[in-house]
Amino acid sequence: MEQVNPTRMELIKKNAQIKLAEQGRDLLREKMDALIREFFLIMENVSKSRDELEKVSDLAQRSLLIAQAVDDPVALKSASFATKRHITLDISGKNIMGIPVPVIGKKRVSLSLLERGYSILGVSGRIDETAEKFEAEIDLIIGLAETETALRRLGDEIQMNRRRVNALEQVLIPELKKQAKFIKIIIEEREREDLYRLKKVKKILDQKKKAAHRMKTS
Amino acid sequence: MDYGYVNARVKGMNSILFNRKYYDTLILKADIDSLITELEKSPYKNEIEEGCVLHPGILGIEYALRKNLIKNYHKILGLVRGDIGEIYINVFLNRWDIQNIKTILRGKNIHASPNEILECLVPAGELDEATLTELMKQQDIRSVIDLLATWQISYSHPLTMYLDEYSEKNDLAVLEYALDKYYYEHSLSIVAGKKYDSRIIHDLLATEIDIVNIKTILRVIRDSIDIEETQSMLLPGGKIFKHKNLLELINTNSIRDVVRKVESTPYSFLSDIPEQAFLTDKISAFEKELDRYIIRKGIRTLRGDPLSISIVIGYLWAKFNEITNIRIIARCKNAYISDEELQEELIYV
Repeated sequence: MEQVNPTRMELIKKNAQIKLAEQGRDLLREKMDALIREFFLIMENVSKSRDELEKVSDLAQRSLLIAQAVDDPVALKSASFATKRHITLDISGKNIMGIPVPVIGKKRVSLSLLERGYSILGVSGRIDETAEKFEAEIDLIIGLAETETALRRLGDEIQMNRRRVNALEQVLIPELKKQAKFIKIIIEEREREDLYRLKKVKKILDQKKKAAHRMKTS
Repeated sequence: MDYGYVNARVKGMNSILFNRKYYDTLILKADIDSLITELEKSPYKNEIEEGCVLHPGILGIEYALRKNLIKNYHKILGLVRGDIGEIYINVFLNRWDIQNIKTILRGKNIHASPNEILECLVPAGELDEATLTELMKQQDIRSVIDLLATWQISYSHPLTMYLDEYSEKNDLAVLEYALDKYYYEHSLSIVAGKKYDSRIIHDLLATEIDIVNIKTILRVIRDSIDIEETQSMLLPGGKIFKHKNLLELINTNSIRDVVRKVESTPYSFLSDIPEQAFLTDKISAFEKELDRYIIRKGIRTLRGDPLSISIVIGYLWAKFNEITNIRIIARCKNAYISDEELQEELIYV
């Protein structure tokens, strides 16, 4: 236990600290509940998007396989040269219960037939379908990146809050209470000692008084 | 030209092409390694051995297939070198030149490394590897076109003509459309005569133009592209569909309407495509049938006059078909696709 001064002032201070810690713990618990609610809401979206992503990804892989098989991977790679190789995203931020989460601008990556940069006369529909499915996959990944980051940050915050609540509940508050109890015991002990000492002094004084009175009368 | 000797050689080459039974043997192989072992017993032996040393697994097979295709096409070109047959065969082989030039232009447009571009070239056409490598070494698109013009390669004409439009729009598709259109127009002009050989190739080219136009229309309708923009993509010179017919097709509202309109033509087989393809607008299902049709028609020329170019042209298509089929089998084996699904993807002709 931490060394404490067993004074009444210290006891008042400790009691105030206990009250503050308990208030903090309750607030953190409320915050955690709100975060968990938010977490499960986002979690539902993420899980739906993940399932969808898996489906789209399987379809895209299948299309890619067919395009590679029928059109030759060389033709596929050549067609990929014609398309733009980078994607620009607008990323801003917002707060959920004080936690900063990213917001990715909903810009569609999917392109129309004429935007892919190649002549459709020389590129097969299989390659087009493959491109289309992978573009759809990228669109989903971008959407998922936003929600998954939010989910991860909320999860981290919930964990941190839980640790804080546990620290308050299991360590700080019991320690403060222990210290307050210790101070209280010491103060009570001291009061009893003082009382005893006063009684003793009073008894001595009374005895001295009686002795003096006896001497005077004799 | 002495077609007797050439055709005897080509028929010999044709006789060693895989038949349906051999495809079944390949399909029944358990994995890619056993497929490689089987192909090592076939005429692909040398290329497979070389490919598998350079690249592992499926990449080795694909390397070998490309190498074999180039070897066979060049062998045939060597048999007819200097004769009128060379011009006819080049009509077929020039599509690889167009593809290679497009790849170089695309690579230059995104500043891809020469090695990356080189991996995507298939020098099966008139332009050999040395020519393509030299083109690839050029700094930018303009330099590639300038070099083509300096070497007086005919593909420089459409590219030079559309270079300004490309610079204005910064859209490579402008040059690609110019090349595609040039290929078909130029090829049709070469085979415009009344000779049997010319007629055979003209007929195939015109059918191919029809098929390219149908594919374009189907894709354009599916993606609801503006009709004005689409008109410039349509190729003239089709066998069945002239400009007026194509406009009629393009003005329809759905893929089903297009298929209905072509029911009275040789492309009526499109209406037999499963309903699911119509519902999901799956263009690849229609493309597969159209590809099958043109390949079948191409291979059928093998039964033409034995003293004409038709035997050689038929072989070129049959070889192309074989390479495609082996690649499909290899890719599907590599991805553990079931035999039934694999059979569906094959272009059996």
